[in-house]
Amino acid sequence: MRRARRRPRTWRRPWGLATVTWLYIAWSLLPVLIAIQFSFNAGRSRTAWQGFSFRWYWKDPISSVWNDPTLHLALTNSLRLAALTMVIATPLGVALALGLTRWRGRTATASNALMLLPLATPEIVMGSALYLVFTNLYTSIPLGRTAQLLGHVTFSVSYVVVIVRSRLLSIGPMYEEAAQDLGAAPLQAIRTILVPLLAPAVFASLLVVFAASIDDFVISAFLSVDASSVTVPIRLYSAVRQAPSPALNALATLMLLGTTVALLLAWAVLRLRRRTTGAGGRAGASSGALQDLATLDI
Amino acid sequence: MTFHPRERGSARPGLGRRDFLRASLLTTISAGSLGSLLAACGGDGSSNRPRASAVQLSRPDNPVKLPIYQDIPAIASGLEPEKGTLRVLNYSEYNGPDVLKAFGKKYGVNVQVTTFVTMDEGGQKLRTPGAKFDVFYPTTDVVGKLAVGRLLQPLNKSYLPNVSNVWDQFLDPFYDKGAQYTVPHTLYTTGVLYRADRVKSVPANGYDLLWDEAFKGKIYVLDDDREALGMAMLRKGITDINTEDPAVVDAARRDLEELIGGVNIKIGSTQYSTVPEGTATIHQAWSGDAVNAQYYLPEGTGPEVLGWWYPTDRRGAIGNDMLAVPTAAEHPVLAHHFINYMLDPDNSVPDFEYTGYQPPLKALNPDSMLADEYVTENLVGAVITPEDFDKGLQLLQLTPKGEALWDDAWAKFRSGA
Amino acid sequence: MASRRLWPALAAPGVAWLLLLFLVPFYAIAAVAFGGTDPLFNAPLPEWNPLHWQFGTMSEVISRATTGDLRPVFVRTFFYVAAAMALCYLIGYPVAYYVARLAGRRRGLLLALILAPWWINYLMRMLAWVNLLQDDGYVNDALLRLHLIPNPVHWLSGNQYSVVLGLAYGYVPFFIVPLYVTLDRIDGRLLEASRDLGHGMVRTFLHVTLPLSRQGLLTAVVITALPMFGDYYTNNMLSGSPTTTMVGNEIEFYLLGSSQKEVGAALVLVLSGLMLALMAYYLVSTHRASRQVS
Repeated sequence: MRRARRRPRTWRRPWGLATVTWLYIAWSLLPVLIAIQFSFNAGRSRTAWQGFSFRWYWKDPISSVWNDPTLHLALTNSLRLAALTMVIATPLGVALALGLTRWRGRTATASNALMLLPLATPEIVMGSALYLVFTNLYTSIPLGRTAQLLGHVTFSVSYVVVIVRSRLLSIGPMYEEAAQDLGAAPLQAIRTILVPLLAPAVFASLLVVFAASIDDFVISAFLSVDASSVTVPIRLYSAVRQAPSPALNALATLMLLGTTVALLLAWAVLRLRRRTTGAGGRAGASSGALQDLATLDI
Repeated sequence: MTFHPRERGSARPGLGRRDFLRASLLTTISAGSLGSLLAACGGDGSSNRPRASAVQLSRPDNPVKLPIYQDIPAIASGLEPEKGTLRVLNYSEYNGPDVLKAFGKKYGVNVQVTTFVTMDEGGQKLRTPGAKFDVFYPTTDVVGKLAVGRLLQPLNKSYLPNVSNVWDQFLDPFYDKGAQYTVPHTLYTTGVLYRADRVKSVPANGYDLLWDEAFKGKIYVLDDDREALGMAMLRKGITDINTEDPAVVDAARRDLEELIGGVNIKIGSTQYSTVPEGTATIHQAWSGDAVNAQYYLPEGTGPEVLGWWYPTDRRGAIGNDMLAVPTAAEHPVLAHHFINYMLDPDNSVPDFEYTGYQPPLKALNPDSMLADEYVTENLVGAVITPEDFDKGLQLLQLTPKGEALWDDAWAKFRSGA
Repeated sequence: MASRRLWPALAAPGVAWLLLLFLVPFYAIAAVAFGGTDPLFNAPLPEWNPLHWQFGTMSEVISRATTGDLRPVFVRTFFYVAAAMALCYLIGYPVAYYVARLAGRRRGLLLALILAPWWINYLMRMLAWVNLLQDDGYVNDALLRLHLIPNPVHWLSGNQYSVVLGLAYGYVPFFIVPLYVTLDRIDGRLLEASRDLGHGMVRTFLHVTLPLSRQGLLTAVVITALPMFGDYYTNNMLSGSPTTTMVGNEIEFYLLGSSQKEVGAALVLVLSGLMLALMAYYLVSTHRASRQVS
């Protein structure tokens, strides 16, 4: 056996891992910064710098984001669709995850497989399949924003289940069993014990669902009917082979800005609630709702 | 698949024919629970079933008169244009926004554009139940199908006095004898867009530029099976680019496959920007790309770096698209006014400035385009004249078997084997 | 006991949703694969009645995939996905670990930064990469200056490394999130105990952390690898060369751009069949894990 306890209990500062992480973030964000850079391009190109200008934000009287009502509509549609998808898919997925993890039997296994299939299905397939079904079978649901919402929820549920379930498996049944021993009904045990423990996974799912929805092109496009159901990705992708302008970069930047602001607001609200309810974090853990959610421990 | 510059190289599926569906549903009722479940749903059927066989393949030497249906008459003359929202169905970025705004202002209406990425998707949107588009932009290969499929209504020429502004050959085109359903919208030729500052000499057979190993890695063909395979055929002097002869199509494919190993060929679709930016030295391209490319030059680079090659005998690929009014239009009179509006050079030219694709108006010709600085000297070959249409070779509709042949050849080329 | 009916009851809405909006549409794909295409409008003609299904197209597609022109495409796709997954693992695991366990105060900020690329459209990011990877773009600039390469690399000329990197780039956030969620959950005391027993960092990682994170890792693999097989846009944007065509590209071509929609649908079924293996492994593993746990 090696020398016992020669070092103090803390590890060395993890410089290597920290470097890797920050390098990754730089690699990850670099193209984002470039895309933002070109939204300020003075000329029409999206890849050749032609000077700085706010042309595509408001100056251009026809094509700028401010002056082109189709871009407003696209932005609103995208955000609304993503928010609704988040709100519907997450509870559906959490319930499904809870059910699938504990349920036994053949039907359970089949349901498990069913839940996984959307992940393995290419988007073109889901899109064209949903299109076929909405136009041939479920004809009472017209194509457009409703159909798009249904489609988005369908592909999102699986993400939620998969993320929540891995957390659920590592939590184990002991907390619920303890609660039940103390006299709580099963549903009550789930609500008061399990759901808070799952909070980080739920939060992660919300983010994933939101991101997947605002970025989705294929399914939204298949299920859109006319200009009223255009989303930002539809606008972007359908223009890429034509001669589009950096107004689209401006639109994407604004969407980035909007979602960042929303995230900051959510963080601020959670932080405020933590302060007022006085929920304790781990000793030594610092402020921040994200960390709190993640360090919840019993 | 359609060979239109706005085409993304892929298409969307459309509705299965409802009556067919109903027939199969009826037979499934006895086949089991799933059958009866599906039979519970289902669309309405129509007794007039358009058949694919009813669509004649139009050719320049074989003009086709499209059928007129009794129950889809043209609108009456002398009506006032409707108010409301004019719904336009077109490719993306293919209508000048200021032109639409001006039209809206003049007639006191809103203009709403719904876009599609491929013509198949466009047709599908047109066929969606409840779709009420007022203006549509078909291409030569689908117009026959749309007319036979009862999706277009015949035009009432009394609303279109400006049609006389258009080249005479379009008053009686081969794909729509008598121009019953359509007026032409824009023209496009397919040639080679290249960097004149890097290409020292252009061979007589300009298509050979794509086979030139000196530019290895910077050569592109269009992401369009008809255009790419057609180009390989034109290079070898074959003028029937609507052939359904497997041997010819196969030979064209093998020529293209030479490019994989030889010049590291790529398949591209953003030639309007990759050539001016220098990523591509040689790119198969459309005439409109040559015009648009002038606006994508980086700072400090002038348009003299661009070059356009089209066969000197003008026997290259050429095509046009059109304006038409769908059957289900809610504002047909307004739609006619819109078409007439677009046939006026005062409106059509600003639209051309936005899209880059030339309308076949008598007012426009190479000299006027050069004088008005729409194109520079080195790109003047991209301007199309009426004579070009007589000499040029068009990519036209094929039989289903022919389409499958070209599709598979392209898929084989693309698999890179 | 009420509890036994509870689980199916919880799962029921989700299952019903997926049945109606996923399984039925998937059946529509099978109906097209064994049906045909309406030549008038190139519209897929689903054949809803299984008794009338035509298997000619499917057998032709299978033969093309096993011995014909589609075989190199399948093989290539498999290798690209495997390589991209290896990259995701090499990049994603350290990042997830750092953020989950070692970042302390900065954890929230890091999470936000990791997720930030998602808020800007994928197309924008890819176009930006195309810009960076030009022969005279910043990447080559930097590499040349650091003397890491003698000549500019042609990143965008049908370069398979670019495609693999592009795939990894697009999917790494999907890899990190579930891994983060699991790693965060690992009890620190277990790691301390390992240290107390005299194991170094590496040993602890290999024998304690890695096994405990298995479920999260498997989840991460499932939600990145499976969609990656059907990806077509990355190749379109970063390569455009026939030498890097993936299965997703062929599916896109046939399903969307051709007059033979049934070939596209058949390809989809073949691809799904192949991926069942990976899914089956995941299912068995989670089944076993949940057995152990309850």
